[in-house]
Amino acid sequence: MHIKVTQEIRNSRSGGLGIIILLLFLILGCLSPLMMKQATTQTGEILQKPSLDHIFGTNDVGQDVFARLVLGTKTSLMVTLGVMVLGMILAVGIGVSAGFIGGWYENLVMRIIDAFLVLPGFIVLLLLSAYFRPGLWTLIFFIALLRWPMGARIIRAQTKSLKEKLHVQASQSFGAGRGYVFFRHILPDLGPILVVLTVQFARTAVFMEAGLAFMGIADPRMISWGTILHHAFKFYYLEVWWWLFPAGILLSLFILALTLLGYSLEKIIEPRLKNG
Amino acid sequence: MKSKAINYLIALLLILLLNFILPRLMPGDPLTAIYGEEALLSMSDVTKAELTQRYRLDQPISLQFSAYFQGLCKGELGTSYYHQAPVFDVIMSYLPWTLFLVGSSFLIAAILGTLTGFEAAWRRGKRIDRFLLTGNIILFGLPSFFIGIIFLYFFAVKGEWFPLQGAFTPYAELKGIPNLMDILEHAVLPICTMVLFFMPGHFLLARSSMLNLLKEPFVLTAKAKGLTPQRVRYVHAGRNALIPVVTAAGVQLATRIITGALFVEIVFAYPGMGLLLFQSLQNRDYPVIAGTLTLVTILVLTLNFIVDLLYGKLDPRQTHAH
Repeated sequence: MHIKVTQEIRNSRSGGLGIIILLLFLILGCLSPLMMKQATTQTGEILQKPSLDHIFGTNDVGQDVFARLVLGTKTSLMVTLGVMVLGMILAVGIGVSAGFIGGWYENLVMRIIDAFLVLPGFIVLLLLSAYFRPGLWTLIFFIALLRWPMGARIIRAQTKSLKEKLHVQASQSFGAGRGYVFFRHILPDLGPILVVLTVQFARTAVFMEAGLAFMGIADPRMISWGTILHHAFKFYYLEVWWWLFPAGILLSLFILALTLLGYSLEKIIEPRLKNG
Repeated sequence: MKSKAINYLIALLLILLLNFILPRLMPGDPLTAIYGEEALLSMSDVTKAELTQRYRLDQPISLQFSAYFQGLCKGELGTSYYHQAPVFDVIMSYLPWTLFLVGSSFLIAAILGTLTGFEAAWRRGKRIDRFLLTGNIILFGLPSFFIGIIFLYFFAVKGEWFPLQGAFTPYAELKGIPNLMDILEHAVLPICTMVLFFMPGHFLLARSSMLNLLKEPFVLTAKAKGLTPQRVRYVHAGRNALIPVVTAAGVQLATRIITGALFVEIVFAYPGMGLLLFQSLQNRDYPVIAGTLTLVTILVLTLNFIVDLLYGKLDPRQTHAH
């Protein structure tokens, strides 16, 4: 399993396009501190069509839609990043330990993973949110908690096969501890799979956050593409296209970028595709 | 097969446990969390005492759970204060619309997606393949509610060709053919939305699984025998290419279908489970929320289980592999 992720992305046009779109979102998200004031001040000019003052118009209480979209970008980026980090820690920790330790512990972990994988994640998230009405951090925690099994399964399988490799056995026979073997030999070889998994984590995270917010059960103070859509949708009969469409388009673009990136990386977990 | 069934049982137990624990985990009187504050305020003390007894809230947690579980087996999901009716009855009046919507759009999407996927694979790299592939990848990312909003805006708000919302014209009291036409007219936009939402999954899977088969020797043999291209594509390669289409990814598909339908119903105010859930969330009608989600989970788990079983039937390698 020696695949250079950067090479893989550079070689495919879709991967490059995905990266560029994601970078643009990152820049947009970084603008958010500048937009704070405009996004929250309620001017008297409600439901204005796009103009030079407000390039995406205003909403029902006269807040600037563009500024709110920028803040929404930041929220989506944070949810994505949070779920990626937390989900990856859980997936790697549990997956690698199961592959390493084996025995009853591994059996138990695999049972839990299999049960989690057949559960409809979004519906469990809805149930949790109906009671907790999660804010940003709780939401990240919930999504990561529901999604780690997806990664842990692959990581465990990979660890088990890596464990039997000669160089790992050699280092163990020289007295290397588990920690050393993990950081020196296992983790680097898990690299490509981890990259694929982060992309998948990011995708579900954005989808779930937006869906939850659209249903109106996210923290009402949170500004995200989903909450913008939720509010704008209440006024759809007034033909508020400037308020309704941009949030959906940004959301779709973000997911599209992740899909493109994932598509270019698919070869890493499906090497058969390479010659296909 | 047995171990698979156990997975589903554990998952089911997990969701029931969550349903049971969550309201009792909330601060304050569990009755508040089970029924919601507004409902509780309007209750008399006698009703409260009666409910406390029904849920055995004054008894140890183990007895509470057994009471909850026994009630569930009998289809008792509690009473909705908002609808003034048993939750089970409320759900049953909404469920058929969801099944109608999901069933018809799934069928259309599966057939359309799989056929175009197969055909695109046989024309790999040609213009039509690239067009279909790009289109489906873009569609794959669109959330179902956004597709719905676009349809609603352009075909019902801007161009008034289709009704804005609902599943039928209220108070029209139509019968026979006009009634059927009325229902179909209301279903066009939701179904189109869902077809566009489900199709990419089928297309991408069908295309890639057909691509994997194109170079197999048995396909070459079939061609060499002089069979018609249609026969090679659909009888020889198609059957094998179908295996992945109803598998692991098929499992995810069931989840995608159900959650997708929930959103589409909200957008078109279509009186199915999704709209019921949405309204209950806004009214904080907790018994209905819990009941709907339990039922939806059971639906998804059952669908996934069937898919799992089908997989074994379609691909004998799978049953003998373990």
